Amino acid sequence: MSKKKIRVLMSKPGIDGHWRGGIVVSRAIRDAGMELIFGGFQNVKEIVEAAIQEDVDVIGLSIHSGAHFAYTQQVIDLLKERGVLEDIMILVGGVVPAKDFPKLKEMGVANVYGPGSMTSEIVDFIKTHIRK
Amino acid sequence: MFDNEYLEKIREEKEKWEELYKTQKERDMKFVTDSEIPIKQLYTPLDINDKDYINDISFPGVPPYTRGVYPSMYRGRLWTMRLFSGHGTPEETNKRWKFLYENGESGFSAAVDNLTFNGIDPTEPDGAPEVGTSGVPLYCIDSFFALTEDIPIDKISVALVVEPFTSAPVCSMYFNMAQMRGYDIKELIGTTQNDILTMTVGYIPYKNSPPNHILRLACDLIEWTVAMKNVPKWHPINFTGYNYREGGIDAVQELSFVFASACSHIDNLIERGWKADDFVGRLAFHLAAHKDFFEEIAKFRAARRIWYKLMKDKYEVQDPRNLGFRFHVQTAGSSLTAQSPKINIIRTAIQALEANLGGCQSLHTNSYDEAICLPSEEAALIALRTQQVISDETRIHNTIDPLAGSYFIEWLTDEVEDRVWKYIDKIQKVGSIDKALSTGFLYKEMRDAFHKRRMKIENGDEIMLGVNKYPVPYDTVTDVFRTNKNAIDIEVNRIEKLKARRDNKKLETILDQLRDVCEKEENVMPTVMKATREGATVGEVCNVYREIWGTWDPPLAI
Repeated sequence: MSKKKIRVLMSKPGIDGHWRGGIVVSRAIRDAGMELIFGGFQNVKEIVEAAIQEDVDVIGLSIHSGAHFAYTQQVIDLLKERGVLEDIMILVGGVVPAKDFPKLKEMGVANVYGPGSMTSEIVDFIKTHIRK
Repeated sequence: MFDNEYLEKIREEKEKWEELYKTQKERDMKFVTDSEIPIKQLYTPLDINDKDYINDISFPGVPPYTRGVYPSMYRGRLWTMRLFSGHGTPEETNKRWKFLYENGESGFSAAVDNLTFNGIDPTEPDGAPEVGTSGVPLYCIDSFFALTEDIPIDKISVALVVEPFTSAPVCSMYFNMAQMRGYDIKELIGTTQNDILTMTVGYIPYKNSPPNHILRLACDLIEWTVAMKNVPKWHPINFTGYNYREGGIDAVQELSFVFASACSHIDNLIERGWKADDFVGRLAFHLAAHKDFFEEIAKFRAARRIWYKLMKDKYEVQDPRNLGFRFHVQTAGSSLTAQSPKINIIRTAIQALEANLGGCQSLHTNSYDEAICLPSEEAALIALRTQQVISDETRIHNTIDPLAGSYFIEWLTDEVEDRVWKYIDKIQKVGSIDKALSTGFLYKEMRDAFHKRRMKIENGDEIMLGVNKYPVPYDTVTDVFRTNKNAIDIEVNRIEKLKARRDNKKLETILDQLRDVCEKEENVMPTVMKATREGATVGEVCNVYREIWGTWDPPLAI
């Protein structure tokens, strides 16, 4: 069995500055023994570049601007174009209405974490669903 | 306040009662405030026996203002009901504002989108999907005509919720619009948030300039509007503890961040040659009403007393009108849940009552759907009616500061005050507020607060009904209010039209003057007033700042 640590890129697509969620989840991921790459503000190109260069297993998109469909679709399209979509798990967190979860999952997001999610749920999901 | 003999008698009786208390079981929990101030079973005259009524509590409108900032408080005038509101386009926001105004709202507050907030035009690629999604887009002077159409801005105050990086272009567009509509800006009433900490630790800034420049921009607006008397009735800054409190800091830290920041601004203006009396009377504040009912009320009372002492002792303010701490309150968005969202109506009502019992001048009540989306019209109306139930049906305004004299409230007010003074010292040891930012000190304090609050919620020390007690699934019933999908096209079109009619050559000369002003670190306001009148967009002005001062990545801590 590979002992390589799970690598997670935490990113904030766009220009919205609500930063607590991304930081709190980042800490939980690091505390759970995973390798965290904190991207902060990144545009879609930067997210995909960082994901490829850092060879990440998971991309976490922290979105509080209401523009979750637009940014997620753009990230997925570019990952697909670069031929790495199959290798990377995409998670979305932030102020996202539960009504939007099904559509995001249809688009290819593995799971969505809205307000009130526990960080332990996120860590457990990554550990049990990661393709290793 | 009691004679010694009588206090001795109380002490004896209290000891007897304590024996009685011990015969009963106490629930297995920590009895502490949200700021972790330990709370006793009971408060008696013994807890406030060192107080002097006239010096420490006194009367409303009289130093040290513990009981209120005006002599008549709500018997004279109710608080302003001001809902933070904006979405889609300026036209749609204007419609929502009128709807709320017709339903009794008494002040406006413009929630701007992320592009306006960071000084980015929609014609740039960075934030295009966010046009109008989390507030109203206000990129050029034409937007302000649309925003305020048919609204009597000489009679009703408008709060422009933008921060120092964009406050000069946004405010000057508003002032220019008012002048062009025939108003005398010397009579304009309103507020600019203009808060350096909202821009940097409440949110993270996107391509803004470094903190020392942001601090100077904030002070430029204070200087130009109030000290130089161009818009003397304006509140040019609103120190917004609310926005960082929402991150997870406690009530004590909230007030301390606010006061440490206010001191740095006052110091900057004094360095420019002004006297505190020239401007401090127009400084305003915006605090949170969070979950701990009594601690929040004590916080509001303590804040007035601390401000009075700071102004009187540290800044030697002479005019009594400049000693009062006037504040807006917002109920706590972070206390709301996306699970059983209608429970949020109850949370908000209780928090609103804290604000009113604490003597606020203005209040925003959250809409119950705010953990899910921007407020729908129905949810915003319930939020407004919540305030009106308090103002019109409860009679709480019959007497001023009704909780004064409560042994507990007076004790807790003192306790909060003591802790705030100590924490202000801790911040000021790091330096002025821009140093506290650039050294990363405030980011570490915020980070620690984030994790502490998160752990409290995850291990159940802080209860959130529907989340960690009686959990229910994330609500899928509430209608999700969606902002206008065409906002991007509408706003790009608005800017293109403006660019087609303006004198680009003349504008370029003014922007060159602005480059010069920025290099010399002079007050930007006169030049930005000229530039926006000639049709400069918020992005064009901010790009000059970026060009001359560079941009800044905050030292975030995880």
